[in-house]
Amino acid sequence: MIDVVLDLLTNTFYMMTPLLLAAVGEIIVEKSGVVNIGIEGIFLLSSLSAAVSTFFTGNPYIGLLVGTIIGLLSGVLHGFVSVYLRGDQIIAGVGYNSFAYGISILTLIYLWGDYSGSPTVPKIPVIIINFGGGVSLTITPILALALIIAVLAWWYLEKTSWGLKLRACGEDPRAAEAMGVNVFRTRFYATIIGAGLAGIGGAYLSIGWLGSFTRTISAGRGFIALATVAFSNWNPLLAILGAFVFGFADGASTYLPILLQKITGVQYTAESYLFLTIPYITTLFVVSLIMKRIRLPRALGKPYIKE
Amino acid sequence: MSNVESLPRRILQSIIGFVRGWIESVRVKKRDYLVAAVELILAGLTGFLVAGIVLLVMGYDPIWIYSVLFRYGYSSPGYLGARSAALMMTGLAFSIPILAGVFNIGGESQLYLGALTGLVIAYYTGNIWLGLIAGFIGGAAWGLLIAALRVYRGINEVITAIMLNWTAYYLIIYIILKYLPNPTQSHLSIQIPENMMLSYSSTFWLAVLGAVIAYILLYYTDLGYKMRIAGLSPRTAVYAGFNPRKAILFSMLLGGGLAGYGGALHIIGVASAFDTTMSTVFGLGFAGIGVGLLGRNHPIGIIFASVFYAGLIIGGQFVELYTGAPPYLSDTIIGIIVIALAIPYAYRMMINYITLLRGGGK
Repeated sequence: MIDVVLDLLTNTFYMMTPLLLAAVGEIIVEKSGVVNIGIEGIFLLSSLSAAVSTFFTGNPYIGLLVGTIIGLLSGVLHGFVSVYLRGDQIIAGVGYNSFAYGISILTLIYLWGDYSGSPTVPKIPVIIINFGGGVSLTITPILALALIIAVLAWWYLEKTSWGLKLRACGEDPRAAEAMGVNVFRTRFYATIIGAGLAGIGGAYLSIGWLGSFTRTISAGRGFIALATVAFSNWNPLLAILGAFVFGFADGASTYLPILLQKITGVQYTAESYLFLTIPYITTLFVVSLIMKRIRLPRALGKPYIKE
Repeated sequence: MSNVESLPRRILQSIIGFVRGWIESVRVKKRDYLVAAVELILAGLTGFLVAGIVLLVMGYDPIWIYSVLFRYGYSSPGYLGARSAALMMTGLAFSIPILAGVFNIGGESQLYLGALTGLVIAYYTGNIWLGLIAGFIGGAAWGLLIAALRVYRGINEVITAIMLNWTAYYLIIYIILKYLPNPTQSHLSIQIPENMMLSYSSTFWLAVLGAVIAYILLYYTDLGYKMRIAGLSPRTAVYAGFNPRKAILFSMLLGGGLAGYGGALHIIGVASAFDTTMSTVFGLGFAGIGVGLLGRNHPIGIIFASVFYAGLIIGGQFVELYTGAPPYLSDTIIGIIVIALAIPYAYRMMINYITLLRGGGK
């Protein structure tokens, strides 16, 4: 029994890491008044670039770095389009997702001639806590990083004057400008930092979790991160809980069929696809339970126009 | 006697009146059309330019690839038309809700559902028309779910749509493997017999029919008018005495239904079956977002945009054949075009700047 619980926890910790990183990043972005629904695309491009650079250097930490940089660059693009060019942020995000999908397949075919995925690459080592008797809990160091970032982001947003200024840009940019805050610059930097955090999460998908890149590696997880943001009511500390809940659903969807096969001895083929719907249905269900009680930043998604 | 004479004349007069009205509206809105044209052309050029740079970096000759893309992508009109049918419908599935203020990126799974119900009904009843109707109903029900969750539970439709997309994706693979396997080809689902399939040209014209009906509904009926008002300003809709929620529900019913109809058309007119990796339908719904934006969210514009997009997809396959370059160019190009289309303000600034340079500003 205890081994089942620990296995479920291991899977949950694996899956909550990218969700937490991207959700905390998106909270920072949205608190400043910008929406970035291109997290899915950032996940794709960052995990691809992390896998490619790890493949050629053999060092997953370089992969992590490159994936993060790609995330930051995505933020520069989205920030430029939505802050300075006053673009439609939702459409820009959708376009970025499509672009990222196209580029990732082009690169896969160009480098390895394979339409579905990359060869396996070295992964960042994990911490295994042994409880004796073959029972253990596996934790990735990136989860620890994500937790630290979540707490720091909360402290920054709620306890510092810089955080107050950033939130002012998302609530009432005109008042923020009157108080001497540079709304454009604040939003631009927030977008870059948020995308960079999503980039760490994306890199983690290939070099921390799967050990290779596949074209469905993100599989809607960028949008589950968006749901985590709504779940947390834009609070980075609550996002830890949200990421745990959605990460649990995600981890269970692959672990449950394996467990059931072990118990019942029945080999699943078609049914394993049915289990894969669990995270999405759970997300829909949880979000529809809590969505009535949330409060969005007031100027969210609206371009700021200086007079 | 005079009635018989005046009838053709009356028809002629009304046609002349219509054309005059249209020319007048073009004259009045000249600047709007100019802005639209500049936007589309610049966005398109940006898309091809950036994708060209990507190709160049990968060591291919972009000019050679683009010449193959355009030469072969549009070379067989029948197939081109049939391939554009599904894209046209998912384009409408994006654009109709956006006119009512809903951002529907669930066209992907609405198309899946329509394709599935269309396939099952057409296969078991032996009647493709029933299949097309079932496709519409399947897509409409799936689309209505998104609208209902938004209207009654306040959930952002973007999250709902993606969750439903992936749910449908895995659910349909399960259904195909479990209940609809092809007895002879293991990687396919049950198949529409060849003699039942629609011809390429009727597939295209049935899609155009859908677009024209959507056009009439949106621009020439009371309901469409209310929907567009609700999209522009929900508060105005409330003052005018109709419920913006109904507009949202109806727009998603129609949009989802058309996506489902497109899915059924794609199965009955082009693909004949699902495959177990869903590659026959994957991406057709997401492509609809690009089609809708390229068509400027107007049903008639969407007809042309879908043909353009279908050509890119077909041409991409020839690119692989003739140049050895990867075939999936269309997603990259369209992705950049969509990003570029998100920034109308930039183009307006550019046009203002150009008029200023010419000493105009009138």
